[in-house]
Amino acid sequence: MRQQRPDEGARKGAPTRAPAGISGLLLDRVWPIAIVVLATVVIWYVAAIFMNADLQRQAFDNADLKTYTTADLVLGTWSQERPRLPVPHQIAQELVKTVFETPVTSKRSLVYHAGVTIEATALGFVLGSLFGILLSLLVTHVRSLDHGMMPWIVASQTIPVVALAPMIVVIMNQFGITGLLPKALIAAYLSFFPVTVGMVKGLRSPDPLQFDLMRTYSASRAQLLRKLRLPSSRPFLFASLKVGVAASLVGTIVAEVTKSEDGGLGARLLAGSYYGQTIQIWAALIMAALCGAALVGLVEVAELWLAPGQGTAR
Amino acid sequence: MRPASYWLGCVAVWLVAWAIVEIIVRKGPHGGWRARACALAVPVIFGLTVLFWWEMVVRGLGVSPVILPTPTAVASRLVGNPDLFFLDFIQTFKGLAAGYLIGCGGGVLVAVLIDRVPFLQRGLLPLGTLVSALPIVGVAPIMVMWFGFDWPSKAAVVAVMTFFPMLVNANAGLAATTRTDRDLMMTYAAPYGSTLMKLRLPAALPFVFNGLKINSTLALIGAIVAEFFGTPIVGMGFRINAEVGRMNIDMVWATIAVAALSGSALYGLVSLVERRVTFWHPSYRGRLS
Amino acid sequence: MKRLALGMMALCGASLAGLSAASAADAVTLQLKWVADAQFGGYYVAKDKGFYKDEGLDVTIKPGGPDINPEQVLAGGGADVVIDWMPSALATREKGSPVVNIAQPFKRSGLELTCRADSGIKTPKDFPGHTLGVWFAGNEYPFLAWMSKLGYKTDGSPGGVTVLKQGFNVDPLLQKQAACISTMTYNEYWQVIEAGMKPAQLVVFNYTDEGVATMEDGLYSLEGKLKDPAFVDKMARFVKASMKGWDYARQHPDETVKIVLDNDSSGAQTEVHQKHMIDEVNKLTMGTSGALDPADYDRTVKVLLSSGSDPVITKKPEGAWTHAVTDKAGLK
Repeated sequence: MRQQRPDEGARKGAPTRAPAGISGLLLDRVWPIAIVVLATVVIWYVAAIFMNADLQRQAFDNADLKTYTTADLVLGTWSQERPRLPVPHQIAQELVKTVFETPVTSKRSLVYHAGVTIEATALGFVLGSLFGILLSLLVTHVRSLDHGMMPWIVASQTIPVVALAPMIVVIMNQFGITGLLPKALIAAYLSFFPVTVGMVKGLRSPDPLQFDLMRTYSASRAQLLRKLRLPSSRPFLFASLKVGVAASLVGTIVAEVTKSEDGGLGARLLAGSYYGQTIQIWAALIMAALCGAALVGLVEVAELWLAPGQGTAR
Repeated sequence: MRPASYWLGCVAVWLVAWAIVEIIVRKGPHGGWRARACALAVPVIFGLTVLFWWEMVVRGLGVSPVILPTPTAVASRLVGNPDLFFLDFIQTFKGLAAGYLIGCGGGVLVAVLIDRVPFLQRGLLPLGTLVSALPIVGVAPIMVMWFGFDWPSKAAVVAVMTFFPMLVNANAGLAATTRTDRDLMMTYAAPYGSTLMKLRLPAALPFVFNGLKINSTLALIGAIVAEFFGTPIVGMGFRINAEVGRMNIDMVWATIAVAALSGSALYGLVSLVERRVTFWHPSYRGRLS
Repeated sequence: MKRLALGMMALCGASLAGLSAASAADAVTLQLKWVADAQFGGYYVAKDKGFYKDEGLDVTIKPGGPDINPEQVLAGGGADVVIDWMPSALATREKGSPVVNIAQPFKRSGLELTCRADSGIKTPKDFPGHTLGVWFAGNEYPFLAWMSKLGYKTDGSPGGVTVLKQGFNVDPLLQKQAACISTMTYNEYWQVIEAGMKPAQLVVFNYTDEGVATMEDGLYSLEGKLKDPAFVDKMARFVKASMKGWDYARQHPDETVKIVLDNDSSGAQTEVHQKHMIDEVNKLTMGTSGALDPADYDRTVKVLLSSGSDPVITKKPEGAWTHAVTDKAGLK
């Protein structure tokens, strides 16, 4: 794991510049992101012209428009109903329409679908994290499991879960389990892995000297766990929880493509793809990315709240 | 429903397997090829135990083969038609390999390029986290729309998935030198190029390999998922999707087995190269002694 | 851990509560073949207008999706009755999962192959050398039967056609990735039109006209369950109310569209498209009582058996349909 402090590396190229107050924050954080976003948007609009030009010419031909200027063509590529690449303002319009101008309870509201997704994501994340922590405790305490299970834990993640999702849903159906749980289980399947790997690393992270010290105190295994292993695994835990919550979101969305009856962002993506509503796909994608960022942010807040003053091992 | 003796027998077999593993782990030989064989035997026995339970539970409870087939049925499918699985594998692998190379290579390249511009780093990396949170199932149909049905669209999905994890890792890796190291290079009056080649890139290798390992499983899943959204009629994703519809669930599991096997093999290969190339890193130095 | 256990108990409790509430009326679960849209308008109408309730039924309609195989859900006990196409059902039956057709609300087939006129395809003779889009997951059988009737290979070898597994949408045709794609009269064809293509730019081959039509959306249940007279009675009431729903859908297409849109959980369906859809679907459901016409069944079996080297089914199925349910429902 990376041990050096983050500021040591990040600023190595530039002369050390002390970020002072708000202007420092602006210079350090906001400006670069803003510039990069701006550049992306510009590239995006230009790319959209090239991606959509063919369709636009076809559309003009179909409308028996023989003469059109380049400006017509460019504006046309930015305002198609089903473009190959929708431009940012079209996606923004769709987002505004489905987020702010539609009541939250409506099935046409993206907030409603995000809510459905986050519900299953949260349950899956909790189940997956608990399972992941349990596994890591087993692996670090039962030697036969350490040797026997770890390769299979890695192998489990090479199984395309999308292929399994429909079957998990059907099998659980047989046992009368429907609703939130099948989706949450698929989410948990993806999210337990980073937690297990991170926690195993974390539980083994104390220095051999520290283990020796505990041994001189003749500490029991439980004491060793409570007083040494768990505290020193905390930064690893939160780092992997962040990865885990993002994985859980992806799992839920994958499950929703299969199990679209309850709605959710995955169902939205499917419907958008099915009806060629590209703008809708992109809006759902942006919403999913925002949800992911928000969930990771929440874990970060929880970390600050539970373990103030302790940095994550990153 | 089977009699109790059936289940008791199963439990007995399980306990014996467990006992063997315990003996190997506790009393097994240290050092030499025997130790290595034992280290390999433990996960194999564990896997066989899982398969054994699967077989016995499916048979014991009389689960319909269209719900969950037995491992033996899956295995006989695999043995019965190896050509088909090989062709599927090749098709999927084309997209996977191309995308993996483009994504990982691009990630390292961009990391080196933006390394000298902290401004770009601070702007790109937060966006990178946002993009890597994108669900592949959403990206896949878009890529199929852009790059057509054959493997290039699958490569595009894989490239998108693998680029940012690699960028983030390589970027962290390039920062992983100590001030003393850099000062040393400075006293040699080494130009940027040789500092990069001789110090910083080698120091970044463990991080790059970490990215390669994460990406090896991601890439496989990406390539298969992308095949759900329109393909020629060959490929592992196609097979899974089509055979579910034909109720050949044993074929589906056989393909899943091939996928898991090739994913693990890729992961293993990367780990092996990592061990050879970054043998100097503390995490390996300790183990080899 | 404790909280997890509590959560699990709460979940179990909630599902039990759901079960007991439903036991007042006979519970029926219907698994659809695809997502909630006007293709299933009649069932949604029957539910929303209370036709099922009038028959003493509490019907749950489960929408399907790209990876949902109705027969698998049926075999897994996740549904009492499912909607699927006959080729897929018969193939499943041959694989040892005894599904039985209990009613056939769709009299005609809506499957067609839609080609771009600018691809140069005018008749089926022009297919070789072109790329044709087909759905898989059980929907490929009618296509394979047709190609083998025409004598074209589908493995991409010279002299044959190149087959593409098309995704869920009509993009391959719009973007010229395929010369032809599979469409339904009531759905994808209109998506092509709504995307800006004109009927004159398209060449359409209808499976019925080509003599390779197979029976589509039928109701299927498990053979074992149908031995129970109480279940047959329940299904009879279900089919009766469903057919009433289809009658209503034919008379009130606009209201049906509204009901379908209310039931679309993704909130992505558009009114224009669903209107096109119900109008075309109504043409297919017209003129049947709901009872399967044995002649239609025989024709489907013949088409499927005729598919050359790799037939969809290898022998004539026995007992794959029954009139027991429709007879009991008084539908002739």
